[in-house]
Amino acid sequence: MRARLFLLPLAVISPAYATTYLSLAQAQALMFPHTLLTPDFITLSDAQVGAVEKIAGSRVINREVRVWRAADGGWFITDGVFGKHELIGYAVALDAKGTIKQVEILDYRESYGGEVRMPAWRRQFVGKDDHSSLTLDDDIRNISGATLSCTHLTEGIKRLMAIYATVLAPQPG
Amino acid sequence: MTDPQTDSTMIRPSLRRLLQAAGLGTALLATIPALAAEPAAGTPASEQQTEQKIKALEQQLDALKAQVQQIQSAPAPAPAPPSPLENISFWGYGEAYYTHPVHDGSRSQADLARAVFGIGYSFGPHTRFNSEYEVEHAISSADDPGEFEVEQFYINQDLTRWASMNVGLFLIPSGLLNQHHEPTNFYGVQRNFVETLIIPSTWREGGVSFQGDTDIGLSWNLGVTTGLSFAGWDYAPEFPQYSTALDLENSGAAPMQASHQELALANAQHLSQFVALNYNGIPGFNVGASIFTGEAEKVPAPPASDYPGNQRVTLWEAHTRWQPGRFDLSALYARGTISNTAAPNSQNPGTPNPIPSLFYGYYAQAAYTAWQHAGQRIAPFVRWELYDMGARYAGASPTLPSGDVPLSETPGDVGPYPIARDHVWTYGVNYYLTPNVVLKADYQNFSVNRQFTRVDLGLGLNF
Repeated sequence: MRARLFLLPLAVISPAYATTYLSLAQAQALMFPHTLLTPDFITLSDAQVGAVEKIAGSRVINREVRVWRAADGGWFITDGVFGKHELIGYAVALDAKGTIKQVEILDYRESYGGEVRMPAWRRQFVGKDDHSSLTLDDDIRNISGATLSCTHLTEGIKRLMAIYATVLAPQPG
Repeated sequence: MTDPQTDSTMIRPSLRRLLQAAGLGTALLATIPALAAEPAAGTPASEQQTEQKIKALEQQLDALKAQVQQIQSAPAPAPAPPSPLENISFWGYGEAYYTHPVHDGSRSQADLARAVFGIGYSFGPHTRFNSEYEVEHAISSADDPGEFEVEQFYINQDLTRWASMNVGLFLIPSGLLNQHHEPTNFYGVQRNFVETLIIPSTWREGGVSFQGDTDIGLSWNLGVTTGLSFAGWDYAPEFPQYSTALDLENSGAAPMQASHQELALANAQHLSQFVALNYNGIPGFNVGASIFTGEAEKVPAPPASDYPGNQRVTLWEAHTRWQPGRFDLSALYARGTISNTAAPNSQNPGTPNPIPSLFYGYYAQAAYTAWQHAGQRIAPFVRWELYDMGARYAGASPTLPSGDVPLSETPGDVGPYPIARDHVWTYGVNYYLTPNVVLKADYQNFSVNRQFTRVDLGLGLNF
């Protein structure tokens, strides 16, 4: 995993058309204030995709994972999942131990289901790690009327935690 | 004396590693030869100079960090112009039923109740188009029972980060189901009766609405739309409008089903207004209410006469849903009124179907996720509901024939005239093959119209 700082401007998650609530830079500044973030983008190998899918219980659509390593040992990851039929861009911040410390919605463009932007819903993920169930209606509560957005975001974050466990976390041996 | 070249080569690798680790290698390394060219270390003067140089390097490092942060916060380059196809979205849902009235197997039916496809288009960062098209009952033609409908057709325009506007034909935010009516979103083969007969889902009107969310979880929605019409009210249908529970949901006999216009050359002399509030601030818990009110196109009076006043239709409802862990509990109450019905009703005495002045219903439902694994889920549920499509009448009450009556033109097709109210217990199970595909089964027990008691099987999907 080699640092590729000067690719940074190309890495901005910016679907062509979206209602952007936080830019990438704003999300980074919010989630890792005064902390240097170094891009550490990864491409999952076949074996890693298989391992991630097995842990997460959902399919890996995009092998390219946009990860930044924080100077304090934490991780900043962005991803996109479909709500009902539009992409939701989001960012997850992990601390040095791989515990979720923050989830932010970057952009959302569905007509319904935008309640996932509510802080109270996103706060449910804080403190969870790759050993957590991260399952809707189990350790993550649903929002009535936003079930698809809640389901797919929860799946997405579970998948990112599986990627953390498989690739980013210190590997045994 | 230490050779300056040797000294600098000792310093260089460690600095290089440090700077590369910070991701700043190329730019900063350009400063190193200057350090390497300095005179010998070891003397107090050269140590002082070295410290000064290190301080200078630290300052340059800080400056470069600041530049990196500037790069990070710089706006992204403009994205390449998207192809028109990238802005199109396509989705769909549908459901099929098998229904078997337990007291009269001859009325068992199977139906591809609805096949719906949706098309959306993003015109820009803040302007979206959404539409849904529905084929009901598989075939739509003059000789078949099916219909082809435009269920939604509207522009959604962002106004601020937390508010948007809809213009066009859109769903009224009433109850738990109307805006979220896909078969994967409700328990039971068919939608509950209260949100079919009292709230006429899938209920849409044409107009303008404004909606938004807040950080504390309060959502709001208000609008001005077309309203209802009693121009075509059928006081005396030739046959009962329904003879099974499946008929009841499909017949359009309920007060607002019979009078909503669906933006089909809708009379727009009077406009209606609605307000809906929902609180979702506690994950897993929802409570909300809405009210819709407006004057309707009035009942046609006989020639050379007029009925005083217009009919005003008002429907309000309150609902709650709580999903603690594996439980999914919900309840809803809905109540509608229609004013100025006395005069037209009294002009149609002795008929089975006068216009009610009050109709209402409520239900309570509990579901439990008994098993789930890798996206599959089995959720049994029970629902108790009451509906009364004619709780009060003004001017004239329904006059129903006693005993069996002909139910259709088919000779021998007879049965009791159905009553417009009932208590229904539903016991069933939803088996989700994926969150978007569901197999359903239920048993519905009717207390008043006992002939409606039935077993149902269903398939639903949503993508």
